Amino acid sequence: MDFELDSETKEAITKAREFAKKYFTEEAAERSDREERFPTEIVALSKKEKILDFSNPWKVLVTIEELVRRDPGLGISVTISAFGAEIFMFFGNDDQKEKYMNPVFAGLKTLGLGVTEPGGGSDVANIKTEAKLDGDSYILNGGKMFISNGQIADYFLVLARTSPPPSPEKKHRGMSVFVVDSKSPGFSVNKLHGKLGVRATNTAELIFNNVRVPKENMVGEEGKGFYYIMTFFNISRIYVAAQGLGIAHGALDRLVEYSKKYGEISDTGELKESIQLAIAEIATRVEATRNLTYKAASYLFKFTPNPIVTSMSKYYAAETAVFSTRRALELMSLHGLTNDLERFFRDAKILDIWEGTTEVEKLIITRMMLKEEGA
Amino acid sequence: MEEEYEILESTVKDFNSKFVDNNSLKLENESMGPDFIRMLADQGFFSMMGQGSDASGSDLKALSIVLENLSKSAPAAAVKVLLVNAFSTLVNDTGILDSVGKGAKSGTVTFSDLLVPKGQNGSLKLENGRVKGEKEYVLGSDSDFILTLLDTGELILLKSGFSQGKKHKKLGFRSIGFSSINVDSSDYSVVAKDGIAALRKMYEDFTLPISAIAIGMSEGVSQKALDYAKVRTAFGHYLKDFQPLAFDLTSLIAEMNILKRYFHDLLSSPISRKEAMFLKHKSLILAKDMSKTSLQIHGGYGYLEDFGIEKFYRDSMALSVLFHREDSDMEELSSLVFEGKAGFV
Repeated sequence: MDFELDSETKEAITKAREFAKKYFTEEAAERSDREERFPTEIVALSKKEKILDFSNPWKVLVTIEELVRRDPGLGISVTISAFGAEIFMFFGNDDQKEKYMNPVFAGLKTLGLGVTEPGGGSDVANIKTEAKLDGDSYILNGGKMFISNGQIADYFLVLARTSPPPSPEKKHRGMSVFVVDSKSPGFSVNKLHGKLGVRATNTAELIFNNVRVPKENMVGEEGKGFYYIMTFFNISRIYVAAQGLGIAHGALDRLVEYSKKYGEISDTGELKESIQLAIAEIATRVEATRNLTYKAASYLFKFTPNPIVTSMSKYYAAETAVFSTRRALELMSLHGLTNDLERFFRDAKILDIWEGTTEVEKLIITRMMLKEEGA
Repeated sequence: MEEEYEILESTVKDFNSKFVDNNSLKLENESMGPDFIRMLADQGFFSMMGQGSDASGSDLKALSIVLENLSKSAPAAAVKVLLVNAFSTLVNDTGILDSVGKGAKSGTVTFSDLLVPKGQNGSLKLENGRVKGEKEYVLGSDSDFILTLLDTGELILLKSGFSQGKKHKKLGFRSIGFSSINVDSSDYSVVAKDGIAALRKMYEDFTLPISAIAIGMSEGVSQKALDYAKVRTAFGHYLKDFQPLAFDLTSLIAEMNILKRYFHDLLSSPISRKEAMFLKHKSLILAKDMSKTSLQIHGGYGYLEDFGIEKFYRDSMALSVLFHREDSDMEELSSLVFEGKAGFV
């Protein structure tokens, strides 16, 4: 067992750190947050400087962590432009990879994933969006909610029902995934305003009103969409865990910096113990999150994903991010309230919700464990 | 609860339903506006403390009832009322108190003088009869009058000659000015020679009202979660049917009701410093926990301002920073519990 990252991955960390230091200025982060403005220029620079190297998933993972550690809103905006691309990688045909996946990985196009619906939330099997075959096309009708890159993506991978479920217990069957061009007639977008956090990211509602999609835009096999999406979530949740790790580490950075500058000293000449213990607790949680996240990643990157460890990492990272930002803010008092930590505090909470709520992750962990044990 | 407080509670509930409930997002995020401020004043909410000619005598308990109930819908409005009344406890200029009580003018107190060590929130010096300098972290910096400490320790009332400086980030209570102030003023008066002692006395007196805001926020946000969980479905069930959600919310509501009962007990008996601090300590934590759980129940919708949940998540944290000292309050409370100096290493 080797806990050391290889030199190439360490270089990616350094590169991300330098990029964030140069471009994630407080002014840029604050403006994107205040105006709910996607940082188009910074994202373009990140593509130009090839900050994300999709040929090496470890580099992607540590880059997310490092960028988010500097600023969650900007960090996630920079690293989310290929969101969903693994679905092409694992289930797309050569033409789809060439036409859609490669331009996304090259930074030329932006992808979005349309799964969640207004009435669905975590209940993916209950989606209502329909795709009906009409000649050599499918006609899509329905809506998607809380979609990242909603207003800026060139294409969306959209989960839609192509046949009725065989029974109420098997609602997850009969769904398929389609590539939808954002310029398609009948497709429209409403940007969502007034988010608590990650306000730099672009989030929208998608509406499909008789959107015609060529048959060849179906990804993989008909009826296997639910399986594809769940497979993708087992990948993306690890990257969400990296976001949580970055946020928690960012909070720790700020608390440590504060304690050096303003931390109250007791009669013994040391920092008062309550802040010492809080730093230790957050640092330990950050390290535990990192070990869990990297373990989940090591399974996945060797093509032997472990959904139990993946869900553990996502759930624990989200909890750690929320805990760490709250605790740091409580201790840093007005200093924390008036610097970027308050943004970290608002940003962290989304991790408990997106890509499967914390409650759903816990249920996955137990159900999979019991299944493995033959219970 | 005594009958007069029940009547007061009913008055605030009526006020909420008429003027606050449908307006709470604007009251939080934008501006309360002169009309709303006047309505708060007309209800007598700005003259519950202090000695203005219209004041019916200081009544911390009545103020606490008002704050609890306002906070259910509009925590920012409650904080505005709290700031004005904190101001009024320290000022004895009848003319100023009257104008503030009527909502024609506004006043605030720099709580930051108590929240961070001296020197960490700027500096105000007296030079040739003028007060000069900058004070950081002033909540209510858009007020007409500001009570603040000089570096020498006197509490002064600034009547003019100050302006808002660097605007601070606003996690919560966004409709209330929060910035530094730049001061160059000869228009001031000394309110207390030992300003720290005067501020501390006010801070101690306001332990119950601050707790009331925290409890009111817990009540407001938990009601939204209860309502939502009864109508929203997932996986073929109402959200309320799921054990993790139902148990978590129920546990917090149990805690809230115990605190509320304790709060009302304190209202009907002589106020004990230790018990008031118990209440404040637990109610601030509860408000943060309750808003977090309620947001989680709402899922993605809770993350959007339209549902009126995320503001409680922000406000509950802002309350615990702007009106609470994480370490020194616990040191004081520990010392009361141990009946001697404790928790200082």
